[in-house]
Amino acid sequence: MGRQRLLLLLIVALVIGAIAVIATLPIQLGLDLRGGSQLTIQVKPTPKHPEIKPGDLEAVQSVIEGRINGLGVSEPIVFPAGNDQIVVQLPGVNDPAQAERVLGGTALLEFRKQKPGTEAKLQIEQQQLREKLAKQKELRTSNDQAAIAANQENLQKTYDAIAQMFEKTELGGTNLQDAYPNATNQQNVWNVGLKFDQRGGELFAQLTKELAGTGRTLGIFLDEAPIGPNFAYTVPVEFAATGITGGSAVIEGQFDLETARDLSIQLKGGALPLPVEIVENRTVGATLGRDSIQSSIYAGLGGLLLVLVFMVVYYRLPGIIANIALIIYAILTFAAFVVLGVTLTLPGIAGFILSIGMAVDANVLIFERTREELRAGKSLYRSVESGFYRAFSSILDSNVTTGISCLALFFLGAGLVKGFALTLGIGVAISMFTAVTCSRTLMFYAISFPGLRKLEYFCPKLKGTKVEV
Amino acid sequence: MKLQVIRQRKLWWSISIAVILAGLVSMLISWQQIGAPLRPGLDFVGGTRLQFELDCAQANNCEQPIDIAAAREVLSAEGLGNSSIQAITDSRGRQVGITIRTSPIPSEQRTRIQQELSERLGTFDPAKTQIDTVGPVVGQQLLTSGLLALLVSFAGITIYLSLRFQLDYALFALVALAHDVLVTAGIFSILGLLFGVEVDSLFIVSLLTIVGFSVNDTVVIYDRVRETIALNPGRHINDTVDEAVNQTLTRSINTTFTTLLSLVAILFFGGETLKYFALALIIGFIAGAYSSIFIASTLLALWRERTGNAIVVDASSANLESISPSDEASS
Repeated sequence: MGRQRLLLLLIVALVIGAIAVIATLPIQLGLDLRGGSQLTIQVKPTPKHPEIKPGDLEAVQSVIEGRINGLGVSEPIVFPAGNDQIVVQLPGVNDPAQAERVLGGTALLEFRKQKPGTEAKLQIEQQQLREKLAKQKELRTSNDQAAIAANQENLQKTYDAIAQMFEKTELGGTNLQDAYPNATNQQNVWNVGLKFDQRGGELFAQLTKELAGTGRTLGIFLDEAPIGPNFAYTVPVEFAATGITGGSAVIEGQFDLETARDLSIQLKGGALPLPVEIVENRTVGATLGRDSIQSSIYAGLGGLLLVLVFMVVYYRLPGIIANIALIIYAILTFAAFVVLGVTLTLPGIAGFILSIGMAVDANVLIFERTREELRAGKSLYRSVESGFYRAFSSILDSNVTTGISCLALFFLGAGLVKGFALTLGIGVAISMFTAVTCSRTLMFYAISFPGLRKLEYFCPKLKGTKVEV
Repeated sequence: MKLQVIRQRKLWWSISIAVILAGLVSMLISWQQIGAPLRPGLDFVGGTRLQFELDCAQANNCEQPIDIAAAREVLSAEGLGNSSIQAITDSRGRQVGITIRTSPIPSEQRTRIQQELSERLGTFDPAKTQIDTVGPVVGQQLLTSGLLALLVSFAGITIYLSLRFQLDYALFALVALAHDVLVTAGIFSILGLLFGVEVDSLFIVSLLTIVGFSVNDTVVIYDRVRETIALNPGRHINDTVDEAVNQTLTRSINTTFTTLLSLVAILFFGGETLKYFALALIIGFIAGAYSSIFIASTLLALWRERTGNAIVVDASSANLESISPSDEASS
């Protein structure tokens, strides 16, 4: 009996601990329940870089984190998935359009200097560039996809021609300390202000000193293309002695506010080492998530209540004990979710509810077995004992097989599937403890009271057989 | 109640075969019509699904029904004329929202569509917006990883059961599992044909759960078969199986019943997202209980009879659980 009492104490202690955990730590809800946006970003290999290594993925992730921080979303989560994907979770975001724009581009900013002898040619190409960009802007509103593509191709030729006339310098997006949208005198025309770090400031001064008064321009390029119609700057001759010092510059890109803001965020976050594409977007409005969690939880709880009633009606005293064990099970499992930092999603809740089904099954197995032993004429104590003992192998086998499915789902599945496997798996593991140890301890504690040792409490309609109690 | 599982096995098998055949025929028709045995959802084929609901807190915003024709005009102007558009009806029967399913669209286009729809239909409530875009590649990944998980768990369960029991037990448990998966998939194929019900990644989850649960039922019965063989090695396998099934019958029914209670509640009162998930589990669990009671058991008996192992002469091979419970109690 000493062992029983010890176990009873352990169970009580565990339950108290679990309640304390649940009361102090919040459970993490998935985006499908609290509302928010989840974007999956595919990192794409390039001809120069045909294979994506773990280091590349980390580099991309850190740039993406930087950009996400620029968005000002609270508690964003960024984590890698598989070998070449990154998942971004933005709680509370209903419309991820800005995030999608900001995350999409590589944002490789470069300052290039014009090659000598190209001055006249650049004038012509720059005129071409202005015209084609204006046309593209016009076409965008018309929705004529074919015309847009044709003009884009045309534009690319101009880009290439212009790129030919410039040579790369050391100065680029990596030398930035800050980038911010900057208003101009014109209505809804914005610039992007840049603040260089120390090295960037020195390089910029050096570059402008070199170009000042030569008639050659300083070109700003984004992702290998001129950043706008006025991408090239002539440095006035008065800077020939020192260059432009002070470590700041302005990109006059004829941006609207949105573009200026997006570009600032991208530049501040740095350039992506590899191109990316958003391949999955799952966005759930906050109210929608709350509605679905509420109705599903109420439904699940309603169903469970019926299960509890059924257990008492059908199994009598053991049913009550099973119910206590089930409630302990639910408390312990929920506490385990909190402690292990499980993020609860809708399939996760489904997994939890199903694992309760498993826990019920274990008790049903035990009590059916107990009844059989009673009908076979064994004493109450021995029937209970052998009910637990004989049912154990079935319980073990059934839990292990469910565990195998959970493992397969957890390691091979993705996203929501993983959440389901995790909650079901944790549930199955804990139910092994509660259904066997917990029910058993409580049961033996119960039959230590002579008043409860009545056969009709265990097995109604047991007639004809004489039983020693 | 005493079931004659062995004597009436032809009947039990016919029922299963009929249901599975109906499912297979539906899958064939479905294959011809839509190129897949079950109607694949967004998760597997890729695409964009947009759901917008009107903000009913604003005056005169929700009074008129959704103008589907206007919505279609907006989409046609974007070159998405063949998208599917449905109105969402609230509990009071008002049309308060719209669901659109298209090929995958980029975010700028989506924002534009959202603005234009809002101009034509009324102000949307941003907290009730739902956007799902799945690229075709991701859809393929979800499908293959799901099916792989299913196969791996099949293999894992077979290995475990052949270690704990014997290989023939494991193989027939596998047949029962395939039965449950086929029944569930078949019924969803029929639902897809008749009502346009789609399967998503949650469907794969439900199949895996069904596998996990159904193998439980089978294991419990096999456990009892093994125990009965160990106690009465001289008995004919048919009697053993009959007795084992009947002894565990109450348990099989009660467990399935209690699990179904919660699931039925979710099906009728739960959130929209979990409805078909719950339905798949309900079908699968019923099929699972059925296959364990009537299929796995009778196949095992038939197999042992045909291979001349109907009566176990050497009991020690199956003698794992024959330690008397009183030994444990006294320890």
